Amino acid sequence: METPIAAITAFVLDEFLPDVGHGGLDPDYDLVAGGVIDSLGLLKVLAWLEATYDFPTDEVDVGPDDLATVAAMARLLAGARPQPATADAP
Amino acid sequence: MVEPLDIAAAVATHVARRPAATALAWQGGAVTYRGLDELAADAGAGLRDLGRAPGEPLGAALTKGPAAVALVLACLRERRPVLLVPPDLAPATRTALWARAGCRYGLPHGDPRAPEAVPHPAGPATAASPAGGAGDHPALLLTTSGTTGVPKVVPLGGGAVGRFVAWAIDRFGLAPGTAVLSHAPLHFDLSLLDVWATLSAGGQVVLVEPGREVRPDHLHRLLSVHRVEVVQAVPMVYRLLLGSPATAGAPLGHLRHVIFTGDHLSPADALRLRDLAPAARLHNVYGCTETNDSFAHELGDDPFDGARGGVLPIGRPLPGVSAVIVGPDGAEVGGAGEGELWVSTPFQTTGYAGGGGPQPFAPRPETPERPWFRTGDLVARDATGRIVLTGRRDHQVKVRGVRVDTAQVEQLLRTHPHVVDAAVVAAPDPVGGHALHAVVQRAAGSGLDSLALRSYCAGRLAAAAIPSSIRLGDLPLPRTSTGKPDRRSIAAALATS
Repeated sequence: METPIAAITAFVLDEFLPDVGHGGLDPDYDLVAGGVIDSLGLLKVLAWLEATYDFPTDEVDVGPDDLATVAAMARLLAGARPQPATADAP
Repeated sequence: MVEPLDIAAAVATHVARRPAATALAWQGGAVTYRGLDELAADAGAGLRDLGRAPGEPLGAALTKGPAAVALVLACLRERRPVLLVPPDLAPATRTALWARAGCRYGLPHGDPRAPEAVPHPAGPATAASPAGGAGDHPALLLTTSGTTGVPKVVPLGGGAVGRFVAWAIDRFGLAPGTAVLSHAPLHFDLSLLDVWATLSAGGQVVLVEPGREVRPDHLHRLLSVHRVEVVQAVPMVYRLLLGSPATAGAPLGHLRHVIFTGDHLSPADALRLRDLAPAARLHNVYGCTETNDSFAHELGDDPFDGARGGVLPIGRPLPGVSAVIVGPDGAEVGGAGEGELWVSTPFQTTGYAGGGGPQPFAPRPETPERPWFRTGDLVARDATGRIVLTGRRDHQVKVRGVRVDTAQVEQLLRTHPHVVDAAVVAAPDPVGGHALHAVVQRAAGSGLDSLALRSYCAGRLAAAAIPSSIRLGDLPLPRTSTGKPDRRSIAAALATS
């Protein structure tokens, strides 16, 4: 069975980056900062997660950071919160 | 003309009279007027540790929340002009903007105790020019939604802001306890009504959380739970609400005023808004950052009344606002006719701070005390005096309520080393108003893909200016007989594919 990372990557490529090959998207690439997904694009992603994985968008508190990368979306699905940012360097 | 209202003094009155009343509704909780006062006092103490020269503005990148509102309030109290910039602006652009406006310090996280010194390679900073005529020194400095490069800085004088706030309180009946939604970010001019007029009136500001601005379920919940009475937003927000199952069969009976601005809302959507907000008066408001609100049209029983080609009229000038239509020959159009709209308002700036390109301001004899702003909007006036927007003098379109210049997006794409040519067309979008589509000829053999090109755009274009779709190919773009990219045939090809 396809892993969530692979399925999400395929969806993002299909929907937002049709000319980019499968190896071309790093799961940690920031799709929002990189201009791939805008605010309305995030709605599309949410609707897809809901339709594909029965993700309860009404019950789970989803913030933009949860959808910024393929890896973050996979973590969201797995019920895990995103890893906290690394502490400031001294 | 309306007397300007002093925001800091007005808020202080409410702190004294109704300290336990809600000032800000935020993340399910509330910040009272006393709480806001304490937050602002703390921010003020941090501000005083930062030196200042007379008239020198402070830069601030603010993510919406109680701390951000308190920081701006502290600046207003300290009579310290503050330049608000989008929090997601690329750091280099942000610093350039602060430098241009004459800021010595900027607050990249909105925290007065974590300032950033702004380098001024060209010598000492020049303070922003006075904004609203003699004695009206800048209180707030906003930016225009620039497509590329560094946005222009729009200084708004304390008098100009105060007159606007007084007008808004009167027009929309804001009073102690009135709940108003704050949807737009704090650096948008819309916040002058949503946040600052509301707080000046002793009302409660219901803050939409950053990142959730386009979640119709979130917006509907806020409007309903907080019994919001006044809402102002770009048409996209209403289209999202109308299209969401979350709102079906759940009308918002508390809404008294629904204001749409920044783009076109169709009369058909306005009709559907009546079901969502059955008790509300609907207002189509026209304005821009430079002049603030200039025209308003309240919809009658038949929203189609006065509409032309599916576009609602912008109505009549607000009190104290002067407007003329200037024809292609430069002469004023009297009566019915078409031309460019020029306005002069009691709420306006007198010019961009620190230059930043051509100044679309010019004097006219009607109001010697302040200049006129050439809006760039083409309008038509019918025999009854009603004005409808018909287009633009340039290549600007509205994407999600934000002004974007497609010619500037094309130019930016062409600066990528592997781009030979680029054309950008705007197509109607059912939610965002317009969506941009780019067709790009890349250098043969370069293998440039849209991910690389998007990353290139991300640090150089405003978010709304990044095209929704980018098609790359190795073949030349179709051209007109004069050698320009044939945008019409490109748009037609995109529409059919």
